[in-house]
Amino acid sequence: MIDIQNVSLWLGKNIHVLNDISASFERGQTNVICGPSGSGKSSLLRCINRLEKFQKGNIIIDGHSVLDAATDIYKIRENIGMVFQHFNLYPHLNALNNITLAPRKVKGKPRIKAENQAMQLLERVGIKDKAYSYPAELSGGQQQRVAIARSLAMEPKIMLFDEPTSALDPEMIGEVLDVMTDLALDGMTMVVVTHEMGFARKVAQKIIFMDNGQIIEKKKTDEFFTQPEHTRTKDFLNRILSYV
Amino acid sequence: MDWEVISRNLEFLLGGLVVTFQLAAIALAGGLFLGIILGLARLSSNRFFYYPATAYIHFFRSQPLILIIFWFYFFVPILFGKPMSAFIAAVIAFIAFEAAYFAEIIRGGIQSIPNGQVQAAYSTGMRYHQVMIHVVLPQALKNMVPALITQSIVLLQDTSLAYVIGLHEFLRRTSLVDNREFRSVELYLFAAGVYLVICFVLSILARRLEHKKYKRV
Ligand SMILES: Nc1ncnc2c1ncn2[C@@H]1O[C@H](COP(=O)(O)OP(=O)(O)OP(=O)(O)O)[C@@H](O)[C@H]1O
Ligand SMILES: [Mg+2]
Repeated sequence: MIDIQNVSLWLGKNIHVLNDISASFERGQTNVICGPSGSGKSSLLRCINRLEKFQKGNIIIDGHSVLDAATDIYKIRENIGMVFQHFNLYPHLNALNNITLAPRKVKGKPRIKAENQAMQLLERVGIKDKAYSYPAELSGGQQQRVAIARSLAMEPKIMLFDEPTSALDPEMIGEVLDVMTDLALDGMTMVVVTHEMGFARKVAQKIIFMDNGQIIEKKKTDEFFTQPEHTRTKDFLNRILSYV
Repeated sequence: MDWEVISRNLEFLLGGLVVTFQLAAIALAGGLFLGIILGLARLSSNRFFYYPATAYIHFFRSQPLILIIFWFYFFVPILFGKPMSAFIAAVIAFIAFEAAYFAEIIRGGIQSIPNGQVQAAYSTGMRYHQVMIHVVLPQALKNMVPALITQSIVLLQDTSLAYVIGLHEFLRRTSLVDNREFRSVELYLFAAGVYLVICFVLSILARRLEHKKYKRV
């Protein structure tokens, strides 16, 4: 469903952020990407919906190249939800309007319909009572759940998560991971950048380890934990798992 | 001192104040609108937008306002072969001039919006104009309210310059009354008082809006 073919990305002339990345993500599966800070995980996610324009390689989504001039990239983005580390809710809109903005403006959904859908989504992520709260009045975990609802409102086929829990207090991580787990079990195609290895182990089918703009390890979940091939992966796992 | 002169001519003077406010309000709305377009063009990576906007802004910021007013009143009508009323000429001159200043304020305001907001909006499939209209500009304008009000105060004072083309705004009418009644001290003290009160009210407004955050009231 997502086919990443030899993608290279430079920022400016000299900063080589992604170096010949290839991977494919199947429909209905959850894929986890992990790796040290600065390894290019966020950049890779942004390439998938072409928020970042890469210089080499290609990414094919459901048969459409994101680089092709004939591809309507806006249409592609409608089908790919994205959730960010720092939530990025619109601070001037309440939760309800954060969620209804894109369905109304992009899809032309009537307000009433969009609001009904938003209330259902808020119920699904467990914060229906916060519909009229502004982001500044919500906890981190609540904001992230609104952000997930905002993405889901476009009824995407794919969801990208960029470290959705790493800005959260420990007691709120669970509530967000629960929502994500439900989504995965519902058959959503997901690409999740995270260091929550408990979540990865339970939910993901495939795990990718990145370092320095390259994919070091690409394995089925159980193999990733039981038989990692590269020393860098082992080191990373040791460091990250020693506290679990 | 003969303060009677004020009450005798109050209606005439306040009529001038109305003209002043009309000019300022239209110039503010038009200048803001043109300023937003110029500010966006100046942030554009497309050089067909960037260079003209940049040239425009630098040009108008380099010229004294009074010269711009002359320009629109005397030269532009020659160009089009049609005379222009003082009010229309003043309106166009002020919009053209103020837009250059608003554009720089707006550019700064837009740049202060975190990139994550733009990414979030684009990721839902919004187009450039939707991202700007629904996500970036509402936040940017809100952040810029204090700077915009300060600029509006300057604008309001600057409208008095339109006297050079004979526009009967507040200050012009004050001086007309003075020509008739020879009461300069009273009249100009009154004018000063009026400007003081207006600016005072506006700056209080600016300060209150500055502290308003994104919350339900
Ligand atoms: N705007 C930028 N200008 C210059 N370099 C950048 C910029 N954005 C990212 N980089 C560089 O690109 C590389 C990859 O960044 P990216 O954010 O994709 O990494 P990441 O794996 O998501 O890291 P993190 O875990 O810290 O989020 C880093 O080395 C970073 O320094
Ligand atoms: Mg990142």
